[in-house]
Amino acid sequence: MCFRFKISILFLLVITVLTGCWSRRELNDLAIVVAIGIDQAENGQYLVSAQVVNPAEIASQSGSGAGTINYSPITTYQAKADTIVEALRKITTVSPRKIYVSHIRMLVIGEEVAKNGIANVLDFFSRDHEFRTDFFITVTKDTTAEKVLSVYTELEKIPANKLFNSLEMSERYWAPTRGVFLDELLSDLILEGKEPVLTAITITGDYETGEEETNVQEIIQDAQLKYENIGVFKKDKLVGWLNTEESKGFNYITGTVNNTVGHMSCPDGGKFSKEQIVAKSKITPKIVNGKPEIFVHIWTESNIAEVNCQIDLSKMETIKQLEKLASGEIEKHANLAIEKAQKEFQSDIFGFGDLIYRKNPKTWKKLKDHWDEAFSAMPVHVKVDVHIRRFGTIENSFLEELNSTSEEKESE
Amino acid sequence: MRRIKRKRKQKQSVSSNRNAHPSTNQETGRNRLLLSPSIKDNIEQIQRSIGPSSDVTIRQFCSQKGGDADIAIIFIDGMVNENIISDFIITPIMGKVELLRHSLSPLFDLEQKILQVGNVKRISEFESLYTSILSGDTVILLDKITEGIVIDTKSWEGRGVTEAQAQTVIRGPHEGFTEALRVNTSLIRRRIKDKNLCIETKQIGTRTKTEVAIIYIKDIADEKIVQEVRNRLEHIQLDGILDSGNIEELIQDNTFTPFPTIQNSERPDSTSAGILEGRVAIIVDGSPYALLVPALFIQFLQSPEDYYQRLGYGFIRFLRYVSVFISLLAPSLYIAITTFHQEMLKTTLLISIAAQREGIPFPAFVEALIMEITFELLREAGIRMPRAIGPAISIVGALVLGEAAVGASLVSPAMVIVVSITAIAGFTFPTFSIGIPFRILRFGLMVLAATFGLFGIIVGLIAVILHLCSLQSFGVPYMYPFAPLEMNDQKDAVIRFPKWMMKSRPKPFTKWNQVRMGNSYALNNRKNKR
Repeated sequence: MCFRFKISILFLLVITVLTGCWSRRELNDLAIVVAIGIDQAENGQYLVSAQVVNPAEIASQSGSGAGTINYSPITTYQAKADTIVEALRKITTVSPRKIYVSHIRMLVIGEEVAKNGIANVLDFFSRDHEFRTDFFITVTKDTTAEKVLSVYTELEKIPANKLFNSLEMSERYWAPTRGVFLDELLSDLILEGKEPVLTAITITGDYETGEEETNVQEIIQDAQLKYENIGVFKKDKLVGWLNTEESKGFNYITGTVNNTVGHMSCPDGGKFSKEQIVAKSKITPKIVNGKPEIFVHIWTESNIAEVNCQIDLSKMETIKQLEKLASGEIEKHANLAIEKAQKEFQSDIFGFGDLIYRKNPKTWKKLKDHWDEAFSAMPVHVKVDVHIRRFGTIENSFLEELNSTSEEKESE
Repeated sequence: MRRIKRKRKQKQSVSSNRNAHPSTNQETGRNRLLLSPSIKDNIEQIQRSIGPSSDVTIRQFCSQKGGDADIAIIFIDGMVNENIISDFIITPIMGKVELLRHSLSPLFDLEQKILQVGNVKRISEFESLYTSILSGDTVILLDKITEGIVIDTKSWEGRGVTEAQAQTVIRGPHEGFTEALRVNTSLIRRRIKDKNLCIETKQIGTRTKTEVAIIYIKDIADEKIVQEVRNRLEHIQLDGILDSGNIEELIQDNTFTPFPTIQNSERPDSTSAGILEGRVAIIVDGSPYALLVPALFIQFLQSPEDYYQRLGYGFIRFLRYVSVFISLLAPSLYIAITTFHQEMLKTTLLISIAAQREGIPFPAFVEALIMEITFELLREAGIRMPRAIGPAISIVGALVLGEAAVGASLVSPAMVIVVSITAIAGFTFPTFSIGIPFRILRFGLMVLAATFGLFGIIVGLIAVILHLCSLQSFGVPYMYPFAPLEMNDQKDAVIRFPKWMMKSRPKPFTKWNQVRMGNSYALNNRKNKR
């Protein structure tokens, strides 16, 4: 009995030292940060903006009654310091609660910081134990992170959630964006023969009104947060942007298009749209005459989404023709992206170098030291297979009948 | 070791009893008092011992004119069937008083020719005479004869067989045990008409002299276990046994554990099922709860309904295992996650919980403690209060504590939900007594959660599991068939397998006759093939 007692005391003592890193924090002592923005300040300092949730306002059902103050659902605290972690701690001088970063949804990096290099910024995010790695990282275009984090948004009261969901949805249904998590970004940074990309976020409309609460009281918001373009990095520095078409081509090549729509011109004028439902890509590096060449094969399945021209969809030849048109369109986008990456940025965002390394390490060893030049000069062959599967609920467009009846009337 | 200690303690308590009541010593002394030839002396002796009580009736009459009373009939009013006494004892004796007077062996004549009753026996000691009278028998004494006749006339008002109160089922027998031992044994006998069903009876309690029956099936039950039950019952030297709970506490393996190691049942059908498995039932006169030993942890989560409903219902049992964990862990998990591991929650969930906690003045642990204690109070009040004021408690509980506490921002709605789920989970156990350890341990885990977070909960759980695995019930490991793991008996553990698959009895209860099912397995297969 005495022995047991001693053992249990021992266990209790062991428990107290074994707990590792922990601390008891009541929920109402935490400032839950949902987004962090990082801008360049003077003297090499960083301006860190932390978007903090005001839980009571988010979850209030009754709304604001008469006489009560209408609190903003979020607050953005800011601090300037030489390092990120310092700035975040400094925020306690303005925030009543301790900053709690486990739940951040977005990391917004200012354009200026991105141009100077993001490696220094990312160290803290990968080192600190509080972070989960499931937040998206974006880079601002033509604006600052501070501004992006102070715009009122509709539907999602928390702007960070809006940014997160919007990026997730646009990646899934529109394609020319790319949601990048921390681990993905870090591995792209480190990997030889692959360069990172980040989707760009901008503010459209008037930023000044976006900062006001009235922004969300209007039906068409004055200022909105919008994803546009993909920022191309070389090492950890931002070197330029891919526009919408190039971004789409980039995603086609990397096989990350999930679902998208795109329009093409019909053979006899007019336009039609197809909805992408499946897209796969296969990239095979080959050594031709001692020099590497890349063969990209994109295979997609599509549905006809919209027809604004007179074509006979019931005929097999028409479908073949449309498939050819669509292939051409995708090929065009892909080539645009490749050309820009090769000629303008000399940045291997597709990871061709990595594929060569995997397929043929010896060749890669030779190429490694002058990969940028080799990449720019490397021939890339894109081949696209489009298969049109379905037309939707109608076959031929009623436009045809509409036109024919009006012609008949005219002839009468 | 522990048992030896207990024995020593019992001895001590007995000896202290002796000091306090010297008369007890006399009555149970070695020089047993025998009946004297003089009926006068005998009656005086009886009157001295039990006579002062008003319900002791001594009916005397004489067999010849002018003589002293030479026949006495003694019984206790209210514990006998007066019709039997007047119609089948007094009337025949008076009618054949001449025969009795001239008889050479009057006791033999009484037994053989006069008394028209079933159960008759002779006694010659005062001690057993008192016991008989006090348990409702009628005693006939004759002058000049040192033996008396005891006639079984027991009959008293008792509760009829009614529906089981605490262990209810939808489908299956609704009968429950009553307070009368013989009714209870008959309820079992009626279910098991086996010649090997043994009902051993012994009296326990130096003063209450309570009848206790040990019931088992001779060729199924493990003789070692039966002997162990007899031994442990033998060692009880308490003055009074008022319920099977008294016995349970004196014969259980381990007093200082929150977990019950003896199963109780108020249902004749589940008790019979236990006996058929090879377990031993102990029924105590005056208690509607039978004890079943040995008891396994899983048996506390088995409802008779699992076997009466179709197979699908057997899966419902799994829910009870889930509710074990909810009942034990829900509040402590809530505390641990909201105060230590906020990163484990989904962002939207975190924000909505955080919003509810805005303005709550207490830490989550205190909040949980307040709500848990309040609920335990309500529950206790619900059992103790008079039936008539039941609705008042529910109004106070639901409105004042639920609504108003949340409205006043003293408690967060999420906490109310957690406590309610915990409470509901606690009510899913078929046996009330298995809920108690979880209620107790819950508080300990809450303290651990509030100080060490999930780490503390895991350490606490490991401690609980280690403790459970160390328990034994009458030599059978408590956590059987999980620890030690026995694949064959998993068929009746977490979920119930089809009846035809459970061909053998649970191993630890029986050393022989393990097969309980004959050809129905084959029959079932043949039918399926057709």
